[in-house]
Amino acid sequence: MNSPFPKSSSTPGEGHVVVRLRPEGVSGLEACSYQYPLKLISPIRASETKSVLVFLLSYGGGLVGGDKVNLRIDVQTGARLHLVTQGHTKVFKSATPDIVTRQTMHVDLAPNAGFCLLPDPVQPYEGSVCEQTQIFKLARNASLCLLDWVTRGRTALGENWSFVRWVGRNEVWTVADDLPAGERLLVRDAVILDRTQCHRQLPTLPDSMHGVGVIGTLVLRGPLMKSVGEFFLAEFAALPRLGARDWRSDDANQAADTPLPPREEWRADRLRMEKESALLWSAANVRGCVVVKFGAPAVEAGRDWIGSMLVHEGSIAQHFGDHALMCVKPT
Amino acid sequence: MGANSPEAIRLDDNDKDNDEEIEAQIADLERRVAEAKSKRRQPTPTSQSASTHPTLFHPPTAPTPASHFLLLLSDSALPLGSFAFSSGLESYLAHQKPPPFPPPPSLPPLPAFATFLPLSLSSHASTTLPFVLAAHRTHHHHHPNTRHPAARLAALDDAQDATLVCTVGRRASIAQGRALLGIWERSFAAEAGMRSGTGAGAGAGQAALREFAGLLRGASSSSSSSSRPGGGRGGDDDDDDDDGGGGDPPAVAAHLAPLFGAVCALVGLGLEQTAYVFLLGHVKALVSAAVRAGVFGPYQAQKTLASGGVRELIAAVIAREWETPVEEAGQNVPVMDLWVGRHEVLYSRIFNS
Repeated sequence: MNSPFPKSSSTPGEGHVVVRLRPEGVSGLEACSYQYPLKLISPIRASETKSVLVFLLSYGGGLVGGDKVNLRIDVQTGARLHLVTQGHTKVFKSATPDIVTRQTMHVDLAPNAGFCLLPDPVQPYEGSVCEQTQIFKLARNASLCLLDWVTRGRTALGENWSFVRWVGRNEVWTVADDLPAGERLLVRDAVILDRTQCHRQLPTLPDSMHGVGVIGTLVLRGPLMKSVGEFFLAEFAALPRLGARDWRSDDANQAADTPLPPREEWRADRLRMEKESALLWSAANVRGCVVVKFGAPAVEAGRDWIGSMLVHEGSIAQHFGDHALMCVKPT
Repeated sequence: MGANSPEAIRLDDNDKDNDEEIEAQIADLERRVAEAKSKRRQPTPTSQSASTHPTLFHPPTAPTPASHFLLLLSDSALPLGSFAFSSGLESYLAHQKPPPFPPPPSLPPLPAFATFLPLSLSSHASTTLPFVLAAHRTHHHHHPNTRHPAARLAALDDAQDATLVCTVGRRASIAQGRALLGIWERSFAAEAGMRSGTGAGAGAGQAALREFAGLLRGASSSSSSSSRPGGGRGGDDDDDDDDGGGGDPPAVAAHLAPLFGAVCALVGLGLEQTAYVFLLGHVKALVSAAVRAGVFGPYQAQKTLASGGVRELIAAVIAREWETPVEEAGQNVPVMDLWVGRHEVLYSRIFNS
């Protein structure tokens, strides 16, 4: 009876996860239900972890055109949950463009709750039509780490942003009794990629991506993310100025003699990697959330970069455990 | 035509000269036709007596108050400070120098600006135009269900503030929005109020903007003194409440798009006109930035502005966003966020964005 596969709920595509803080101070999985094509697995015993790990999977490893997945997550006061995937979330072709594949996630975070969503990127195939909506409602002092990234498709098959439409929308709300409406939208990050060009002068979708093969957004908020958020802002501020002359090349020999402090050495390596892989990124503090945007020609370069940043900073692993980073670990 | 030279280059030149000549001829003919027509229309004192046919006598049509304001709002001299912002053009050009992303092979080797302009316009429309349209609709149709136009405007402004997730873009939008609100309060409100003061709706709209300005002042004075986005240039000069929600963002930020929609509605501009002026303003700012960045000269700039291509493009993106609810506004050129956001890391800058 102790199956690792939780019971299925009744409505197609619906899933529900509830995580609660147990009296002994660890987070426990209170409820976990799902229905085809959604599949949720929580492989690690909650009593052993500071945060509950749930795998977000789908039968067949992807969403077939027209699939609807609707996941609700409740992380109760003081509890923590991290959600990961196993490989890219593939989105298969829709038979016709009006058949929309929908993936919806609605997450409620109670006071002092923590939620970390660091999945593999979504890989929409040629001809797919997909809208993903993720809504996060944070009570005071709740913490969120959210990564949403999407790739150009199957490069091996020559796909290059060949889908019909991709919409990725992430909303971060603050919920509190003292707000006029009880809640307030803090950040609505939406990416709309549509191959229909309304005018012939506009570049095609692949051209408008300017050679980028993966684009991603990381949103951080709350006390658990304070350190990692400040880290991204500081690293962004420390980026070498574009167009500045690099006088250091003369001092290369001298630099070899005096070893850099660890963080600067790591940064120098990372900057070299960013340059070689043509990765571009920016970070900003927007209404109390740190929003990081990045893009790179190669998906793995994007993964290596975000993984390197999060692993090096270290607080995500500290608050949620190493498993939280398994989808973004540098290869 | 012009084939008296065998050289291809000369031939091209001659063709160009020829084209210009034809253009000049057309312009001249058109001018003469217009002159002739205006003569025909002009009533002669003998054929028409003002006393016997008072209604037939039309003095040269004076522009309506709305078209008067249309000219003002589309004037580059409108002190919005738009010239300070390049909407990512400067950063884009800097990023192109050693191309970080090799240009896609399918892309013809267009000059950088010709690539940037349509992308920028499309991206600007998809992120901000729904807010212009929504604000205009709110302030134009004073349905009973729009009971609190000020609250609706504040809500649109707040939603826009949540949607623009790039510091540099936010800075540009807020600086211009506040400038427009200042122009409205100090320069337009009195006149617009007199002209359109007939309907209760116009009065309500005016009151809404007044209330909105009050909210802004309240927000500026109550939030920390460093939250004035126009001034700073660091990445964290917006709202420093990165402490788990201890501090909320100010009630209103005064972004350009919703205020532009509201002001245009109040001075009587139509919805389509408003959208057109808003986007043309973006193109004008880009073209002017290109001139200042040395991309091309003033004649090429005017040629770009005058081109049917720009006109069609603006019309096409307006049609695309006509029905888009503000909740579905979003970025359709993700690399634009990278270019605009990375304006911060340019070594030398002539623009604020």
